[in-house]
Amino acid sequence: MISREDDSRLRATLDPPAPAPGFAERVLRAVRERRRAGAAALAFDVAASDRGIAGLRPGSGRVEAATRRARALAKRVRAELAEYLEGLRSYFTVPLDLSTTASFQRSVLDVAATIPFGEVRSYRWIAEAIGKPGAVRAVGTALGRNPVPIVVPCHRVLRSDGGLGGYAFGLDLKERLLALEHETPALVGSDATRIICRHGCGDEQRIAVHHRVVFASLSEARASGYRACRRCLEGRSSPSSPFFRNLAKAL
Amino acid sequence: MGAAAKHDDGESADAVLLAAAAAGDERAFADLVRRYERRFYAVARRMLGDDGEAEDAVQTALLQIHRHAPAYRPQWSGSTWLYRILTNVCIDLWRKRRRRDGLADAPELRAAGPRDAERIDVDRALAKLPAEARAILLLCYVEELSYREVARVRGVTVNTVKTQLARAKRALRRHLSEVNR
Repeated sequence: MISREDDSRLRATLDPPAPAPGFAERVLRAVRERRRAGAAALAFDVAASDRGIAGLRPGSGRVEAATRRARALAKRVRAELAEYLEGLRSYFTVPLDLSTTASFQRSVLDVAATIPFGEVRSYRWIAEAIGKPGAVRAVGTALGRNPVPIVVPCHRVLRSDGGLGGYAFGLDLKERLLALEHETPALVGSDATRIICRHGCGDEQRIAVHHRVVFASLSEARASGYRACRRCLEGRSSPSSPFFRNLAKAL
Repeated sequence: MGAAAKHDDGESADAVLLAAAAAGDERAFADLVRRYERRFYAVARRMLGDDGEAEDAVQTALLQIHRHAPAYRPQWSGSTWLYRILTNVCIDLWRKRRRRDGLADAPELRAAGPRDAERIDVDRALAKLPAEARAILLLCYVEELSYREVARVRGVTVNTVKTQLARAKRALRRHLSEVNR
């Protein structure tokens, strides 16, 4: 029924345009830099029990795990961490063992764990969420002793005045983790104005539902002829080679 | 069988490069990327209907290929293994985008010039096919793999390849004639 001639026409129709010049080199460079950032996961010390991950910190790659299951969990958290640092993952699935933390700290960490990828909250917000609005400072201390940073995203907690606050492994790393999440935004745009905004921008609210489009990255949106919103996106770029290079250095 | 023999040289080269890349040879990995650059781009571009997304997909697939290279076993042909990773990444990206946008045919938003019109028609028609059928169609017609190879890449039987292909071709013709009317 389907003739050979038909097939060759189909083949010609499906033949896509050639990749832009320098495609392989660009992709290769990006892959290399993302891998370098991910390789830093190997240098994290991990402590795990049968129940889950109990500790994680930049170190020399030591593993504290008594059983087979614990060792498997430690391996898994490191793999997920590498993917996160490579920009391949926005959440963790590995179970945590926070049984050694005191109840106040536990409640702080539980709330911090609900902050979504790419978003930030204040110390005050956490204090209010656990019903102790006066305990802002104690929240900061509890987060500072977070046994499983990155997996419980205490780096997403900032001061209410917009200051960075603290970070047990240095503000430089905190800033870079925030940048990693910040630079892989969910972008919302309008196909009428051809402008894209970060999710949550005031201008985003005015986009009519039937004009709404979503992009995963700024480069992707630019390639489709969209420009960045002056209010929320001006001057920002999508995950770039220098960005991952710097992340690798900071780790 | 004939097709397999035809690709023999390329196949062993792929396997050698993959083994070297797994052992940490960066140059081997770069060679592999250059070998597959056009073919990967072609599939990703047609699967996703967009340049930027195609580049993201190829980047992600290569990252995974590098990560999993030590797990590669030579009883698989190199290209089969590579195409499987790429098509999985593309299908995954496509599903994520559909969930996010609720848009089945995003490419029509991107009509640029009249010269692109035909290309966009193809993308639009392709976007209407189920992702799996589209992957099979592209592997057969853009990459010119044999039915057997496509079956191995997608982990299905040769008969499934044939039925999916026939269905995809029928649907594609129908969509294209609608668009051109």
